[in-house]
Amino acid sequence: MRRRGMVAGLLLAVLLMLTGCAGSFPADPQGTLEKARGGTLRVGASMNGDWVRISADASGDVRNSDVQGREADLVRDFAAQLGADVEWVAGSEQVLTEELKHGGLDLVIGGLDDKTPWVTHAGLTRPYAESRDERGNPHKHVMLVPLGENAFLLELDKFLMAAKEQK
Amino acid sequence: MTNVTSHDAVRFGNTELPPEQQESLRKAIRIEWATMGFLVVTTTMVFLVLGNSQAMKAAWIEDLLSFLPPISFLVAAHAIRKPPSEKHPYGYHRSTGVAHLVAAVALTVMGGYLLVESGLGLVKAEHPTIGGIELFGNTIWLGWLMMAVMIITSAPPVFLGRAKMKLAEKLHDKVLYADADMNKADWMTAIAAVAGVAGIGMGLWWADYAAALIISASILHDGFKNTRAAVSALMDKRAMTYDDGKPHPLGRQLDEYLRSLDWAEDAKSRIRDEGHVFHVESFVVPAGKVTPSLEQLEAARDACVAMDWKVQDMVIVPVAELPAEFLPGPTAGGER
Repeated sequence: MRRRGMVAGLLLAVLLMLTGCAGSFPADPQGTLEKARGGTLRVGASMNGDWVRISADASGDVRNSDVQGREADLVRDFAAQLGADVEWVAGSEQVLTEELKHGGLDLVIGGLDDKTPWVTHAGLTRPYAESRDERGNPHKHVMLVPLGENAFLLELDKFLMAAKEQK
Repeated sequence: MTNVTSHDAVRFGNTELPPEQQESLRKAIRIEWATMGFLVVTTTMVFLVLGNSQAMKAAWIEDLLSFLPPISFLVAAHAIRKPPSEKHPYGYHRSTGVAHLVAAVALTVMGGYLLVESGLGLVKAEHPTIGGIELFGNTIWLGWLMMAVMIITSAPPVFLGRAKMKLAEKLHDKVLYADADMNKADWMTAIAAVAGVAGIGMGLWWADYAAALIISASILHDGFKNTRAAVSALMDKRAMTYDDGKPHPLGRQLDEYLRSLDWAEDAKSRIRDEGHVFHVESFVVPAGKVTPSLEQLEAARDACVAMDWKVQDMVIVPVAELPAEFLPGPTAGGER
């Protein structure tokens, strides 16, 4: 009976909280979506074929015009939808995912697929495109978001699904 | 009934079951198959929406573990039909206890594993990530689906559990009892998982781990409880009621009957629970130290066996005085 009481109490608390904050559901623990909306979207880009092309030599902060490719275009469209400016950072997946994990970035692109080993550092969007490599193996492409920023992730998922349908 | 297979199905070794228990056993077998069918559906549904929620994972593993008691029951129900043999003179009743122990240890191990994993997740503050899913052309939050699935799958086990509980009492089956007990508590797991996912939705990432911890603790609790019950049954603990609540009243009844016999002065039995049926050794002190006749002994045994279907394997030993070394306890025949 003690367990039953505990669970009932927990449920009650959840209901109270649900009615208390009718704001965004799901919500971001770190408020990524709120900060990006009308503000700045900090995006890490790692070079990878046609998905992400970077013309600047150096890694680190790069100009908007230096980053091209299919995923870069998608990110620009998404930022426009949020009314956000994009702040680009170029680098290796290692450096970028580490930044993402510690809250230094909001999004990482690099032609990554859903088999990416960076799941320990980042959340994955739903696969929004498929490709085949030279060996004929299929790849389901995803982007990386900060762990647990579910409102931001859902917004991006919605955008990517809509973009996929338009094509 | 001349049908051989159905006849086989309603025996526990040498023990012919009375009609009420035969019916209960058939029902129990049907309901355990139904439980397995239900579990196949729910584990699949939950797996499809599992996502990154630790609470959902814990609930899913609990669902998977719920297969063990029905499997144990069905395997044991099959094994105990075998009559005693030269090699197994006490029959195969203990298979119930063995099945119970295996299921209980599995619960304990998985409960402990999940508890540690959930605790580590909480300490490392790994924020659970749950995104969107495409459903009928719309992208909705996967968390809504998780909560819906948990709510849909929460109610049926409670009804299954209630039905099994009644049968467990009639059949004196502890595996069935343990299964019913877990089913009855299953809705709490579902509610905890819903609360965990709702917590994630509100941006309270730790709610997921808190819910997972509650679920793991409940699995571990079930594991400990069942391991203790299974081990003590295998250790020949005195026969208890089906829920291990109190000593089985049959012990007192037998002793009272034996003491009431004309030729008996005192009597005390030790009874162990073989699984469904009892193994009874009754020590009887004859009045005036006159050895009872074989007819008297046989009549007393028949009367005891007639008292309850669980009494079949019984010996009556006439003794000069009650052997205290075999019958520990405060008073002669004193069943606490």
